Amino acid sequence: MRRIQYSPITLLILALCALHAWAGDLRVIANPSVGASSVSADELKGVFLATKTSLSDGSRVEPVLLKGGATHEEFLKAYVGKSDAAFETYYRSLVFTGKASMPKELATDADMVAYVAKTKGAIGYVSAGAAVAGVKTLEVK
Amino acid sequence: MYFQTRTIALAAFLCAAPAVMHAQFDFKVDGLPFQVHSFASQGFMYTSDNNYMTMNTSNGSFAFTDFGANVSTQITDKFRVGAQLYDRNVGKLGGWHPDLDWAVADYKFKDWFGIRAGKVKTTLGLFNDTQDLEFLHTWALLPQSMYPLDQRGSTISHIGGDIYGAIPLKKLGELNYTVYGGDRPNDMNGGYVYALETSAKQGTDANGISIVVPSSSRTINSYNGPAYGADLRWNTPLTGLLLGSSYLDQDPTTKGFFVATRIPFLIQTEKDLTNAFYAEYMLRGFRFDAEYRREIMDTRTTSSNGVLAAPTDKDMRSAYVAASYRLTKLLEIGSYYSRFYYNWAYLHSDPLNHVFDQAITARLDLRKYLDLKIEGHFMNGIMPSATVSRGFYIAPNPAGLKPDTRLLVIRLGYHL
Repeated sequence: MRRIQYSPITLLILALCALHAWAGDLRVIANPSVGASSVSADELKGVFLATKTSLSDGSRVEPVLLKGGATHEEFLKAYVGKSDAAFETYYRSLVFTGKASMPKELATDADMVAYVAKTKGAIGYVSAGAAVAGVKTLEVK
Repeated sequence: MYFQTRTIALAAFLCAAPAVMHAQFDFKVDGLPFQVHSFASQGFMYTSDNNYMTMNTSNGSFAFTDFGANVSTQITDKFRVGAQLYDRNVGKLGGWHPDLDWAVADYKFKDWFGIRAGKVKTTLGLFNDTQDLEFLHTWALLPQSMYPLDQRGSTISHIGGDIYGAIPLKKLGELNYTVYGGDRPNDMNGGYVYALETSAKQGTDANGISIVVPSSSRTINSYNGPAYGADLRWNTPLTGLLLGSSYLDQDPTTKGFFVATRIPFLIQTEKDLTNAFYAEYMLRGFRFDAEYRREIMDTRTTSSNGVLAAPTDKDMRSAYVAASYRLTKLLEIGSYYSRFYYNWAYLHSDPLNHVFDQAITARLDLRKYLDLKIEGHFMNGIMPSATVSRGFYIAPNPAGLKPDTRLLVIRLGYHL
């Protein structure tokens, strides 16, 4: 059987593509009422784990989730540090012990953008290519 | 027959409900959004020897059913209310008596300071507040040394309040604290009352451990008292690693009477202190949990002539280590080893003084809301204490208890 061989340049291009796919294929969006233009990774994690309800500028925020898919899993992996199953278990443990409500879940990027645009304090995420009219994009530091 | 019919009806509901309701149920009242969630499970247990958890498990038993439902709403950004009902039938325990599991009003002033009041689930160790929620766990039965099905009412909730919050430590992670106090609710359908009403202490064995015999000489009217405690858990900078410690001080009083003479019966707690230490580590599909708990309990009990006896001291120790790994989206496997010592001061190898349990599990996630667990337990020790039993009781085992038990548990559960 013939072994496939890659040149160093091909490997570099593949690595750059992979890095881009991991870090750049989503954007964090918020309702325009959110004063901050950036958010730290720790803040984002706290908001989506229900231990933080406001950002450092004092803006109150409400996390919004995608129901599933690559963007959702990438977001959880990159910023929350949990798999989809572990994240679900974490929230269920809060919901069924009276410690939190389940965040709003939306099926598509368009639904997410529409909901975040009309909901004060809403913060969510969409794929990098999604149209984001009516919401602000937050830089994650 | 009545219970069988209910069990079959519930099993049918369990099978049918997920198909027609595969999302949480939301509705609005006056613009206020409400969420409704529910769960249920149906189990089967079969043992090689000894009837377990008051069921007729040596012939196989389906008398292992529970369900719950909650409704909650976020009234303002900071204020939330909700309540959950819970009902169960585990052999002679629970008895289908629905229970207000929790009912809380929660006001979060700041991320680092919130108050929840009402009937609140007690935070103790990793799983005390989630022990009824089988769908959250790999196991059909959590380690029974620490989360015994039959003693659930001893720690599950308090009527009072919690102060809680999360304190970010920047690069050092985050601290979560809970401080609570209140009254421990009555648990008239648990293993504690069942044991007291169906058995009695009759002397001690050569190692000083109580020998318990069948007896229905007492009726219990109440079993409750004040409880307070705290929990501190540290989400460390190492992603997936959680370390924590809990403390619980409770002072329950048991009241009843001797059936023949109507003389009042009392168990008065002089001291009941629990310290727990725990660790959890999750990495991709791998999960590791370990806990250690020590409970020091001094109680005084009235004898049949109505005189309150001298205090008896117990130094109970429990610990377990558990590991699980998710092989695929469908399948997770795991194992734990758990130990419980009734009194650390007595001979550790005496089967009346301990219950050791090695468990192996396969969990199948058939749907996102439906799971099936198949679990084997290899237990040594029976420890049929009248007050802190771990599943082994004299009354369902009139021919006596044998030191070793093999147990098969199959449990089907759903949640919405």
